[in-house]
Amino acid sequence: MKHLPKHLQPRWRYLAVELETWPDADVDRRAFQREVWYATQNLLGDTGSADVDATVLRFEHDDGTGHAIVRVRRNHTDAARAALACIDAVDGAPVGLRVTGTSGTVRACEEKYIRGPAEPFGQRHVVFENAERSALARQKRVDVRTDHSFVGATDLDFR
Amino acid sequence: MYEAVHAHPDGDSTVARQALTAADYGFDGVVVRNHGDEPADYDAEAVAEAYGIDVVEGVEVRADTPSQASGLVGNHRSKHTVVVVHGGDRAINRFAVENPAVDVLAHPMRGDGDFNHVLANAAADNGVRVEFSLRQVLGDSGGSRVRALGDLRKLRELVADADAPYVVSADPRSHLELRAPRELVALGEAIGFTGDQMREGLEAWSRLAERNRRVTDDSFVEPGVRLDEDDG
Repeated sequence: MKHLPKHLQPRWRYLAVELETWPDADVDRRAFQREVWYATQNLLGDTGSADVDATVLRFEHDDGTGHAIVRVRRNHTDAARAALACIDAVDGAPVGLRVTGTSGTVRACEEKYIRGPAEPFGQRHVVFENAERSALARQKRVDVRTDHSFVGATDLDFR
Repeated sequence: MYEAVHAHPDGDSTVARQALTAADYGFDGVVVRNHGDEPADYDAEAVAEAYGIDVVEGVEVRADTPSQASGLVGNHRSKHTVVVVHGGDRAINRFAVENPAVDVLAHPMRGDGDFNHVLANAAADNGVRVEFSLRQVLGDSGGSRVRALGDLRKLRELVADADAPYVVSADPRSHLELRAPRELVALGEAIGFTGDQMREGLEAWSRLAERNRRVTDDSFVEPGVRLDEDDG
């Protein structure tokens, strides 16, 4: 179809989203996009989610951390923020996330708010609650492997 | 703005990890509100210094009956800066709002808990803050979230009418459940709160911690009277 004249084209805002998961979680773009759609529709309803029109443009996730750029309609960024906050898991894997910034272009969003790839985990052995445990550490953050899951800790917990 | 968190063993992340993440997210402080039977082992000052965020030692008292709750509040009052009562039961809700030694009544609508204008007025008279818990709004979906939203609305109307003090919390059990202040404000606006109400509710934790630290300080004598080191 023919291009819309410029003043009728939708105006977008690009949200930089930072994600965190447990180290063993595997999350991909399609699953995250699905959660974004569910979250907007569940919180804002059909009309609200059509207004926000959230689309995941970029997605990286590796080693328990990641980032995404979500395109939303201008003037609906607060609604989008609220809906994103309600994403508590992707494909059953718990995620923590936060919007680190918003920009008018993808490029500005990437340059200002997206950090480079995270450094890989280092394997560590720690004593946690009087038991020897293996752990995955990145800078200050240490995820301790317990019998069934992980416990989030930091280097302060092992001094 | 402060967030009130449950830390390991009452959650999946230690106090240090919660504080580190909260500092990243732009909070000025965290209140550790582990349930009384699952206390966390931590050094609040060391964590605060390492991550540049205030760490407030609190407790969430969980009891089956008002008399048991009364005993537990008495025990914990002198040991913790912030004393929260685990609400969600009608008798416990009533006990909490009628007791000035209680700082916060947590999630009064959870389970079969309920709230009314009498309790709201009692909370206002006794200065007991009522918590708006966003936990179920953030984590649930479908019918249970609809009920949680309905309960929050009812609670909001009662609290506003009685002009009772309140706090807001996402009640996170791990660092992954934390959400940044701006996200919480946006979510509050989407579900019928005003942005100012949300910010006020997140700020209220810090004022509460500051007041309680002041009155438990050695230089405090009685309201309006305190020992000043500079006076010779």
